[in-house]
Amino acid sequence: MIESAKSQSNFPLETSIPQASLESILCTEELQRRRSRPPDFEKENRALVALVSTLADSPGIILQTLAETILEITESDSAGLSLLTRNDDGKRFYWPAIAGMWNPHVGGGTPRNFGPCGDVLDRNCTLLFTHFERRYPYLIPVMPPAEECLLVPFYVGGKAVGTIWAIMHSDRHKFDAEDERVMGSLGQFASSAYQAVASIDDLKFQVAEREKAETELRKLTDGLETKVLVRTEELEQRNSQLAEARARLAEEKLALERSEAFLAEAQHLSSTGSFCWRPSTGEIRWSEQLYRIFEIEQGVPVTLELVGSRIHPEDISILNDMNERTRAAVSDFEYDYRLLMPDHSVKHVHALAHGSRDAGGQLEYIGAVQDVTQRRASEAGLATARTDLAHVTRVMSLSTLTASIAHEVSQPLSGMVTNASTCLRMLSSDPPNVEGARETARRTIRDGNRASDVITRLRALFGKEDAAIEVIDLNEAVREVIALSLSELQSNRVILRRQLDGDLPPVAGDRVQLQQVVLNLLRNASDAMNTVDDRPRELLVTTERDEGDRARLSVKDAGVGLDPEAMGQLFEAFYTTKNDGMGIGLSVCRSIIEKHRGLIWATQNDGPGATFSFSIPCRTDTKVQ
Amino acid sequence: MESRQARIAVERPLVAVVDDDESVRESLPDLLREFGFAARAFSSAEEFLASDSIAEARCLILDIAMPGMNGLDLQRELKLRGQKIPIIFITAQKNEVVRALVFEQGAAEFLFKPFSDMALLDALNKALRVT
Repeated sequence: MIESAKSQSNFPLETSIPQASLESILCTEELQRRRSRPPDFEKENRALVALVSTLADSPGIILQTLAETILEITESDSAGLSLLTRNDDGKRFYWPAIAGMWNPHVGGGTPRNFGPCGDVLDRNCTLLFTHFERRYPYLIPVMPPAEECLLVPFYVGGKAVGTIWAIMHSDRHKFDAEDERVMGSLGQFASSAYQAVASIDDLKFQVAEREKAETELRKLTDGLETKVLVRTEELEQRNSQLAEARARLAEEKLALERSEAFLAEAQHLSSTGSFCWRPSTGEIRWSEQLYRIFEIEQGVPVTLELVGSRIHPEDISILNDMNERTRAAVSDFEYDYRLLMPDHSVKHVHALAHGSRDAGGQLEYIGAVQDVTQRRASEAGLATARTDLAHVTRVMSLSTLTASIAHEVSQPLSGMVTNASTCLRMLSSDPPNVEGARETARRTIRDGNRASDVITRLRALFGKEDAAIEVIDLNEAVREVIALSLSELQSNRVILRRQLDGDLPPVAGDRVQLQQVVLNLLRNASDAMNTVDDRPRELLVTTERDEGDRARLSVKDAGVGLDPEAMGQLFEAFYTTKNDGMGIGLSVCRSIIEKHRGLIWATQNDGPGATFSFSIPCRTDTKVQ
Repeated sequence: MESRQARIAVERPLVAVVDDDESVRESLPDLLREFGFAARAFSSAEEFLASDSIAEARCLILDIAMPGMNGLDLQRELKLRGQKIPIIFITAQKNEVVRALVFEQGAAEFLFKPFSDMALLDALNKALRVT
């Protein structure tokens, strides 16, 4: 006893009061006894909608917004959140957000095992405290004192992570069963908000890491390309000068070795290997790093068969495609494909090569292969998070939009119906009240115009009516769209080819709208090949001159093709074959193309798949409406 | 002429309309007068509470979503004051939760905007029978 009194002697007054029991500071069952106010669902809905929009628009302030919402809905004097600390195994609760009179105490907290929040988690239910400082004297300095405090636990994945709470500092107003119910539903929201804040923090960290890694990689790759070029040039020069420069050979050799060591180091750091390939002789030379990427023992002679044995079976068509290109003596190629390792792990690589003629006129390719497995993985994670977020935002704005349209249009409609009824009654009375009928008919017209104004405003908000006409190089517009959708196409393992007519005359139109059409066609084509696994997912984009001084763009896929019965409905609004489609894409495409005085159509390919094309007038005779 | 109209207005049962939408405040009283009622319109719950119509009105047609005190608040306030005036709620928002709530609090009828003249007349007959 003496020991404990001594150890607490730094609390001068409070320690002399015997510590109150937990039961004596609890009054939870009072909630049911008190006269409860009726629920205000409208206020509650409004508050929840505001919380959800805050979560979507500015998640950084969601916890403070939540505290303010609790304060407002429960009409309490202070309200806030307590979260278990993450860095010391949850030994403490801290207060990240407080609204109302206790707001200056943000950042404070209580111990996990000796405090009201801990009691709530231990009992795993909502608790109502009165003057908890009688049991927990460290709360005495936190002013003003809490007459009553309602605490609700919340959980993430079944694990308690914190509490939300509301405090009355005077007895002018007491908590009741309705407060308990509302706090329960806010507790569930607190759980989602906590998760969202945590995952946004993670996402930010991931994005920053990825950008850092990419910048470094880019620096290395840029340096590497320059080095490859410089070195090639050096080698050629040296070859021709070899006879005269024999004396300097040793010195040169040393420099070369140093440069090679440097190159090998750079290749290692950037996970990039280089190769040299002469299709005429079949000779292939690899850098050390490329052997490492392919996990083949250094020095083993490289053949196309050996390369093929490592390429993922679903991507093997790339090798055939590459062979065809070299036969046609195409100067550059670039591929993304996967490697299947003996231990069944999968690597993603990015390969590019540049072809040139050597001194003997033989075609020779020099290229680099980069292991992008890690980058792919982080990109995929990022894309998923982005899609989830976009979906939440879209669904939310749709429902908000629907409610606001219904409300805005119903008001004037209501006036119209009432006025028209009154008008009829005035006309059929004996004698007819013509002056009154005239006045109500006038109001009916005015309300009709009001309803129509509402619709016009909405249309102006959600669909741009006026096209911005400019002169466009269709090829350039297509290239921009391809650049934008390339990573999406690659992740669907689509092999994209383009045949763009370099002599295509310019067209006049709205660049963004036409690009939306191209994007839509590319997406549709890619989606149509989602289930194709027995043939390459090839996509061909073509631009060409069409008869009658028009430009034509076609997108050809090797997908599932068209249902002959559905051909007539393809471009109608809400027709879709996709499970997740809105069916609005092709009908919008058609209206855009028609606005450009063009045509859009679809044909079944001779082989598998379908081709979607549009044709619009060239600029020479064009004035778009 | 003036005194005859005033006399009739006193004899006819008064229906009060509370709605923040101007087109409702203009159109509904005319229709109510065609039905044979006297009618007065108010743009807010506060305005109605401050008027002397509160004792006189036989029925109240009340919008739910209004700035300031909303329809539900007014219903509660009238109850607290011991006013048993029957209330017909009108709203443009199809919210079944709110609908259930106002009936629980003793509403006579509930109409979604826009409503027909016959629906309104039925509602008025029902509301006035209740008293």
